Amino acid sequence: MTKKETRARKYLNVTIVTHLEGKDMPVNFKYKKRHDREKPMALDVLLQAQETKLPELAFRYGCRARNCGVCTIDINGLPRIACRSVVRENDKLKAMSTLPVITDLVVRRDQISRQLRGKIYRNSGGNDLNVDASEDYHELTSCIECYACLHNCPMHEKNSIDPSESNERYEYGNPFSLLKLQTIVMDPVSSNSQKSDAITQAVNLGLDTCLNCPGCKCGIGIDLKGKVVNPLISALKKIADE
Amino acid sequence: MQISLVWKQYDVLVVGSGGAGSNAAETASEMGASVLVVAKDPLSASDTKISEGIATVRASGSEDDTEDTLSENLQLAGGDLPDANITSAFARDSQTAYDKVRANGLRPKISAITKNPDPLPLPMGGHTKRRSIGHKNSGVAFGHANWNSIVKDAKIDYKEDCWLVDIITENNKDHSKSIIGALIYDAQRGELLAVVCASIVVASGGLSTIYFPKTDTMRGNTGDSYAIAARAGAELVDMEQIQFLPFCLTSPPAFEGLLGGEPVTASYLGVLRDKNKKVILDGVYLRTRAECSAAIMKAVEDGRGTKNGGAYLDMTANKRAPKSGVYFMNFLKGSLPSAYNNVRQAMSKSEAQCEDLWEVRPSAHYMMGGIRVDENCSSIGGSKGLKNDGILGLFAAGQAMGGLFGANRLGSTSLTEGAVFGQRAGKNAANHARNISGMNPLNKKLFMEKAKKINSLIGQKGHLHASRIKLSVQRKCWENLGPIRDEARLNKTKLFISKTRKKLKNVKISNSTKWNQGLIEYLELENMIDTAELMAIAALERKGSLGGHVRADCRNISLFSKPYSTIVRFVNNGVNVTRLPRKQTEFKKLIKFKFEEQKKFLGAKILRLMPMILKDRVLEKRYKKIMNIQKASITVQPGSVEAAFGDRKIL
Ligand SMILES: Cc1cc2nc3c(=O)[nH]c(=O)nc-3n(C[C@H](O)[C@H](O)[C@H](O)COP(=O)(O)OP(=O)(O)OC[C@H]3O[C@@H](n4cnc5c(N)ncnc54)[C@H](O)[C@@H]3O)c2cc1C
Ligand code: SF4
Ligand code: SF4
Ligand code: FES
Repeated sequence: MTKKETRARKYLNVTIVTHLEGKDMPVNFKYKKRHDREKPMALDVLLQAQETKLPELAFRYGCRARNCGVCTIDINGLPRIACRSVVRENDKLKAMSTLPVITDLVVRRDQISRQLRGKIYRNSGGNDLNVDASEDYHELTSCIECYACLHNCPMHEKNSIDPSESNERYEYGNPFSLLKLQTIVMDPVSSNSQKSDAITQAVNLGLDTCLNCPGCKCGIGIDLKGKVVNPLISALKKIADE
Repeated sequence: MQISLVWKQYDVLVVGSGGAGSNAAETASEMGASVLVVAKDPLSASDTKISEGIATVRASGSEDDTEDTLSENLQLAGGDLPDANITSAFARDSQTAYDKVRANGLRPKISAITKNPDPLPLPMGGHTKRRSIGHKNSGVAFGHANWNSIVKDAKIDYKEDCWLVDIITENNKDHSKSIIGALIYDAQRGELLAVVCASIVVASGGLSTIYFPKTDTMRGNTGDSYAIAARAGAELVDMEQIQFLPFCLTSPPAFEGLLGGEPVTASYLGVLRDKNKKVILDGVYLRTRAECSAAIMKAVEDGRGTKNGGAYLDMTANKRAPKSGVYFMNFLKGSLPSAYNNVRQAMSKSEAQCEDLWEVRPSAHYMMGGIRVDENCSSIGGSKGLKNDGILGLFAAGQAMGGLFGANRLGSTSLTEGAVFGQRAGKNAANHARNISGMNPLNKKLFMEKAKKINSLIGQKGHLHASRIKLSVQRKCWENLGPIRDEARLNKTKLFISKTRKKLKNVKISNSTKWNQGLIEYLELENMIDTAELMAIAALERKGSLGGHVRADCRNISLFSKPYSTIVRFVNNGVNVTRLPRKQTEFKKLIKFKFEEQKKFLGAKILRLMPMILKDRVLEKRYKKIMNIQKASITVQPGSVEAAFGDRKIL
């Protein structure tokens, strides 16, 4: 074995794009494998970088097990859940491109949840809780809020994600917010007014954009087109027809 | 650069948006209080969200499940250390608290017969009744409900990416202390928030990260709840009692610390072996978690540990049995689906099939002790007869509080704990704030002094990094304050902590104000150190093994000796530790309990010694029985006593 091959077995070269006050700074990082066959996840690489070369590297993580949904980053330009995405030679790890970057790989997230603030489950209470929810309801509530679905969403792209603008909540929606609204529609406990409220909110967030869109992709495999977007559009059409 | 100070005023500040925090916020807001929720993680991302999602609801399985039955159950499980008022409150509120979470979208399966949520088919171990309700999508389902509870209410302000730095109190004329607010680092906006408020609900979770990566919990569990409350002058209770899960994964790094199995899933023939394949513990399925953890750590200590500092869990005999082997694999896969999923991804095929040994090591899971409160979640202090010197306006709920579990936590109780005590804390925090007139304006300077201290850290010069010191603290806590302890090690911990404290002034921190990771690491490191010190001193005080506290140099504390809790608090330049006597369960009940347990052990021994053909037949019957009752879906909750039958033994 040549010297070069031995080294290749021990190290993995990646680029980590750090970020400070509006400027990207790519850093080359050599991940030291713990054994020849190790296939590290992106989060392993970030943790080792913080332990060695970049002690103040900022990135989000929580559970390390694809449950908490906070560790999403872009790998070679595509959103990936860092704790469960294998890294390959020359991969580029960068903050998600769909949300404003704060520092390094950390993006600001709360303008998404805030767009539904005070607008869901209004006037709840008093309904019979002892009814079974459908399989579809449970499919929707498997969402871990990783925001991978923001990628290539024309509705979300209408928002400005310029971090210099103080934007407490986004005006236009995204697949996640639609999913939250459709969950209310699917909830057997919701009242009719709560359901129609949810559909109205979807329209206000720009549901019409979905009409000309090939559809969204979920990071963990929820059928967003079939179970979120299409049902909302048909509900809207039904209301329009009446 | 300086971080600017921004003033805010609310009735109630809630720290944390997990189960306890979101329940507190919703309830306080319903009571008419103005509420701010802050959390270091994104909204609702928490241990609650990543849990198995099994919750205790009294009488969900049978009508004879009275409040006394459940409360007594918690008492016995906790070695008589729990506070009876707190266990009673848990028993009293579990149904209404759970329904409040359901109103936010949590949808359990409804039984066609009872028209109510259907609990798991068997009582979870340690529980005397069927009352544990599982949920589709596990903790994520709770995550959604908690998210909804905060987002739906436009009156609740919330900020994520905010680190509570310190609680600020003023001294009253009678020498008691009252909350006047808190200082918070808003990393997202690069601001220091001076929140003036009369009530604070600490719902900021646990401390398992002091053992990282030997933990299965969220990154943010750096002991902030305990350290910050203690620095403000609050008492902590039972801080030596931490629950370790013995059978967690050791590699690859991405899976290190995550759950692989529980004592019960080692099943009837599972044993633990050292690196030379010598048996170090048999009858694993009847052992306590602490016993399993201690056996593993003992082997490691004697140089007989495996490559990654653990031991081998050998379940091959279960698999080899000609008839029952098939049932065993189904049992294993069905009992702990998420844990088995970890194994499947992290281990080789033959290991996942139990044809090879699993390398396992304990992981920190849950802190049973915490901030000392009463059943209304109000901070309390002092001993009986003396004046209560708890901090007025300080409330704690969820993992942050102590007094509910004592020496052992029953499975599926923590999600309910978050709901019950989150709601109680929210209500009482709102009531308290109503009766308090504003802060003395002169006390503004207390906030400014704290802010100045934080600002002096910005741009601090030095050759050390907090993120690296954290790693050394985590290693040392594991070695000396982990699943196995003795006096020498605990003293080493104390020494190590005082040395580490001195290093803080040489930590380099960059001068950015927005999301300064160096500052975040520094603040968390300080909390880890304070927490570890408080734990070490509580652990030194309990000179014997009990529940989650295993002392290699002392004997087990007998079930029949007088129970007490340890109380620690910061005093000038040190930690003060005292014992709080607890009420003992009647001898009659204790003896009955002991007797039933001995019967089980005898049965297990006889089975082990049987020839294979006989054994296989018995086992087949047993598997059929449990799997039939449970219709193929047997769920065991990690951390539950059911997942470690033996945990009943130390009661
Ligand atoms: C893998 C796993 C499985 C489990 N399964 C179950 C189960 O099936 N049933 C059960 O009953 N229990 C289970 N548990 C235990 C249970 O999940 C937790 O004990 C419980 O959720 C804790 O709730 P909490 O609200 O107290 O804290 P958490 O849910 O952990 O919330 C803590 C909150 O505090 C915030 N925070 C922390 N520090 C700060 C700070 N300094 N400033 C601001 N905010 C801060 C965090 O961001 C977070 O929002 C499990 C635990 C784990 C890890
Ligand atoms: S819908 Fe899918 S991709 Fe979008 S936030 Fe939820 S889990 Fe992530
Ligand atoms: S279908 Fe709608 S929500 Fe989905 S990507 Fe297209 S515009 Fe976005
Ligand atoms: S760290 Fe929780 S999903 Fe990746």
